[in-house]
Amino acid sequence: MTLDMMSTGGAGTPSPAWTKPVIETRSLAKTFAISGSEFVALQGVDLAIERGEFISFVGPSGCGKSTLLNMVAGLMPATSGEALVNGVAVREPSREVGFMFQTPVLLPWRTVEQNVLMPGEVFGRKDNALRDKARAVIEAVGLGGFVNAYPRQLSGGMQQRVALARVLTYEPSVLLMDEPFGALDEFTREAMNLELMRITRQAGITVLFVTHNITEAVFMSDRVVVMTPRPGKVSGIVPVDLPRPREIETMQLPRFTEILFEVRHILGGSRGAH
Amino acid sequence: MALTEAGSVRLNRKAGSGDLRFTLITWGVLLLLIGLWETLPRMGMVSAIILPPFSAVAAALWSLMMTDFFLGHFIVTLREILIGFVLGTAIGFAIGVALAIWPTVKRVAYPFVVGFQAIPKIVFAPLFIAWFGFGETSKVVMAVVIAFFPVLINTMVGLESVPADAMRLMRSIRATPMQSFLKVSLPHALPMIFAGVKAALTFAVIGAIVGEFVGASEGLGYLVDLYNNQLRIDRVFAVVVVLAAIGAGGYFLLEWLDKKLIFWRTEDNK
Repeated sequence: MTLDMMSTGGAGTPSPAWTKPVIETRSLAKTFAISGSEFVALQGVDLAIERGEFISFVGPSGCGKSTLLNMVAGLMPATSGEALVNGVAVREPSREVGFMFQTPVLLPWRTVEQNVLMPGEVFGRKDNALRDKARAVIEAVGLGGFVNAYPRQLSGGMQQRVALARVLTYEPSVLLMDEPFGALDEFTREAMNLELMRITRQAGITVLFVTHNITEAVFMSDRVVVMTPRPGKVSGIVPVDLPRPREIETMQLPRFTEILFEVRHILGGSRGAH
Repeated sequence: MALTEAGSVRLNRKAGSGDLRFTLITWGVLLLLIGLWETLPRMGMVSAIILPPFSAVAAALWSLMMTDFFLGHFIVTLREILIGFVLGTAIGFAIGVALAIWPTVKRVAYPFVVGFQAIPKIVFAPLFIAWFGFGETSKVVMAVVIAFFPVLINTMVGLESVPADAMRLMRSIRATPMQSFLKVSLPHALPMIFAGVKAALTFAVIGAIVGEFVGASEGLGYLVDLYNNQLRIDRVFAVVVVLAAIGAGGYFLLEWLDKKLIFWRTEDNK
């Protein structure tokens, strides 16, 4: 099952300036006021992300990676600077941008298919084409036999697959993921990593992936944005020049370990395993 | 894998036979209580004026149901309970929703709501008679005033306990507040709301009876008061049995509706 339907057209209509980055941040910063004193969650970040890129943001808690993602999503206003998606400043959430959370956030009273169709109801779409599309995507994420299952009948990994199907059905050009596999066991996480890479590359989706797992970040990404806390800021960007398509064997390459330690070095060197 | 499956099957069977055993024990305890109820007054250990034997109460219930006035009193009280229950539930739900979705309303009104709940509302009963007369209205108002609070609190808490990620999801797809409410918050809160509704029914029965005790010329509470003054204790108990049947019947009806409506409920519902 391929996702050829989502590879062209759809919501991500190419802007006239094709060469422009899909996502740009210009001195994007966030400050919270906590009981009178100011707390810098994120110092000015400048990023340019190309169409189809897979970018990971790694760092310990409090480095501002989720804050950055929320601002790009339009779920949180910036204190200063701005984020642009397809050249347009982000003011509110956009339907071109899909968001996935650490929890699958499925509605337990809806079947897998009804959960996937829920955003469609919000968008005012209830046509058969969307239904067919949803079924195809559910099959593509490996849940073909579970269309009519309820969330409680599924494992954590399968629930997160439903959440992935729910976001992919609406053909976002950008996918923002906030530690989506953080609650999964190592084996399930690996399977989800491979699947996510396959599907998003096939569809040409730009992915911003927040994680605290360095291995996962290096394994999937074109670039790893390394962030450090107090104050939250970008400390370095590590390009990942590993060949694609990537398989589990990719982790055996000496280059993989080199990049891993490069990231680790920027994080402060003294950190333990992931 | 096979081991766990076999284990879970055995567990299920155990739970099944345990259910049957508990049902038998429940019925056994009931029979024992009825037996004591019958024998203790008959053996003279308890005065029959204080506790008439079970058979006397059953006979009194039968003769009451044969009278031409009993059904009228029954319907009067049932109406008070049902109207009080429905109005109380509706008002509790509406205020609960308002408090949950408008933080400003909550900040202003919540102290008043809690303060009102702190009053033992039975003290209002004489006042309601003065305000609304001896008829149905004063009893319905009493039932409403006692019944609305559990629905209010459970609606508010249920709506406020929607996971933050679920609300972020709805915002990320630009759902309107109404869409978020109908598609996520309300169904999420439904199990809690229903628990409040079940409590409201029990409270509505109390409210109607208290109202009748304080001042009424008809209804089951009026009959209890009347027979108590006439020392017809067998009939007092007979009316109590009818009231218990109304409460229990309504409760089990709601429980059944609850199971139908909230089919996704699990043991570890978050």
